[in-house]
Amino acid sequence: MIPEISWKNIWRNKTRSLIVITAVTLGIISGVLLVGIMQGWVEQRIHDAIHNEVSHVQIHNAEYYDNEDILSTIDSLNKIISVLESDPEVKAWTERTKLTAIATTPWASTGLFIYGINPQKEKEVSEIYTKIVPNGGEYPDINKTGYILISDKTAEILQLKQYIITEPLIEKFRESRLPDNIVIKLDSIKGIRFRSPKEFKAILEKKLNWKELDMYGKLIMDSALDYRIRNRIQITLSDCNGNPVQGTFRLCGIYKTTNTGFDQASAFVNINELAELYGSDTPLVHEIAIMLHNAENIDNVKNKLSTVTDKNIVHTWKELAPDAAMMNDFMYMYYFIFIGIIMLALAFGIINTMLMAILERTKELGMLMAIGMNRKRIFSMIMLETIFLTSAGAVAGMLAGWVLVSMLGKTGIHFSSWGEGFEAIGYSANVYPVVTFDFFIFVIAMVVFTAVLSSIWPARKALKLNPVETLRTE
Amino acid sequence: MKILELKNVNKIYDGSEVPVHAVRDVTLEFEEGEFAAIVGPSGSGKTTLLNLIGGLDMPTSGEIIIDGVNLAKLKPSHLIDFRLRNIGFVFQSYNLIPVLTARENVEFIMSLQKWPRKERDARTYELLKAVGLEERMNSRPSKLSGGQQQRVAVARALAPKPKFILADEPTANLDSKAASNLLEIMEKLNREEKITFIFSTHDPRVVKKARRVIALEDGRVFSDEKIQSVND
Repeated sequence: MIPEISWKNIWRNKTRSLIVITAVTLGIISGVLLVGIMQGWVEQRIHDAIHNEVSHVQIHNAEYYDNEDILSTIDSLNKIISVLESDPEVKAWTERTKLTAIATTPWASTGLFIYGINPQKEKEVSEIYTKIVPNGGEYPDINKTGYILISDKTAEILQLKQYIITEPLIEKFRESRLPDNIVIKLDSIKGIRFRSPKEFKAILEKKLNWKELDMYGKLIMDSALDYRIRNRIQITLSDCNGNPVQGTFRLCGIYKTTNTGFDQASAFVNINELAELYGSDTPLVHEIAIMLHNAENIDNVKNKLSTVTDKNIVHTWKELAPDAAMMNDFMYMYYFIFIGIIMLALAFGIINTMLMAILERTKELGMLMAIGMNRKRIFSMIMLETIFLTSAGAVAGMLAGWVLVSMLGKTGIHFSSWGEGFEAIGYSANVYPVVTFDFFIFVIAMVVFTAVLSSIWPARKALKLNPVETLRTE
Repeated sequence: MKILELKNVNKIYDGSEVPVHAVRDVTLEFEEGEFAAIVGPSGSGKTTLLNLIGGLDMPTSGEIIIDGVNLAKLKPSHLIDFRLRNIGFVFQSYNLIPVLTARENVEFIMSLQKWPRKERDARTYELLKAVGLEERMNSRPSKLSGGQQQRVAVARALAPKPKFILADEPTANLDSKAASNLLEIMEKLNREEKITFIFSTHDPRVVKKARRVIALEDGRVFSDEKIQSVND
């Protein structure tokens, strides 16, 4: 009967209880949303790190890992391949040549890693082929030779990315019912090439007012973007003897991941063509990237591959992308910090409400003690009241938070204005919030803990009451 | 059978500048089935004496023995439990639990004593019927009159079959009709349940119904008179 009384007691003063419940509900919703966004970002970062950048496991020659020397290829390659082929835990793998190079166009040059890949096998371990930008050409075809795949960022550096308002584009704008005054303004910059988004944006800011820019700026930028597909890029690298060699590749495609740092440093060509350039009959393999069926088995696979030879070094994704791994490992700490701060703030409101409730019921508590309700039962009653009060808000908050996160998980939240900043550190500007079952268990534990903690002071106050004195009060 | 014994009980409150001797050298015995009134003017020590008998307060000296158990020898936690099992309380201002219905209020102490559900239900109905409130058993105290609330309080006190019931001025807040109705019910239950009723009062109508009248003055027993009822 104590739980029943406790539940009924919280509805004695409906307004006061509803205020506390609403505060808890809003607190939990914000906690769920905040953690959902954080978790969404972490999961996206881990997914992108594994599927675009480092795979589950990578093997290198230990020396290559230190000095990136062209001759430091993977040791005992055939043995490793046979282990990979026979291991049921391995889903796919691919070998790569990885060399430092300088990419040059008539307008600019940049240093990067040039990856020699087998485009078909690469698709099984990397999702780069799905990251080709609109109007950005295509992923290299295994049957075509002489092509290079670079990132949007590299294209920008090499000035292979331009913005131009063409006559067909003006016509397209007219047909798409872009206001006439805007089309007229755009017509005035027709045919001018802008070699960077910054330059083009600056001219748009001059021509259009802020409202027009806000409404049509992105559409105009996206439509005017033109990559110089099939343009030549000269690659300079050191051959097997340490002499500089040069080769020319045609730009076949532009990709863009959520990590600008990776994009800026990575360009891809056919592994056999690259071998011809550095003067080797067979491709030199510096890196093997491996995807597993189940990432849980990562340590088993690492151990198996490490035993083949001690000249190679095997890394898991956590070692290759320590930022993502750290975020993942720290997720529970983030839960604790976010929810802890919210619950701490709410605890003061809960304590205040419970103290008021005790003050109002002094005589009744005295009567309960007089008729034989012992300290343990009085304490339980008040503690349960606090737990019910807090839990009512928490359940509502978790449900509302879950619905909100589920909806936003589908539509995503777009932090377009800060996109460049996010992508510079490997995070997408579009986040899809997600919360796990574990998180809700954690919230429940925190809510109960807060409720129990918040009930101690009011309950102690109640226990100090003297039945004889309280019964005398009016 | 003797169920309650007070031996040279004194209670001195020395919290204020001048110590107050609220109960002086009281020695009394109560038999099973008594219907006793403690009377006296305000400040004569009636409520203090009831609090001492009920174990809500401890005497400065002397002994209170209930069914062979000296209250002073019980640990505080055991005393609460002892009170729960042996003493029923009826308060002047009813003191029902406002969030519970009449039925739940009556059931409350039995549930604390872990009575089986079936027995609890039967006893609750029996008592609410005895106090004439079986039709109002699902009403909350706020929907009942003062007299009805006090009848529920009597039913609650009787529910777990205590050794005796202490009632502190039970009719003080009732009009004459409700008071007389309550007294009739208490008398009837006293006869039928053989439960001892000890109540403090200065209401002459209550005194008239009592079969034993203990008069207090300045904390002392001034007179202790057993009245032969017509029924006896």
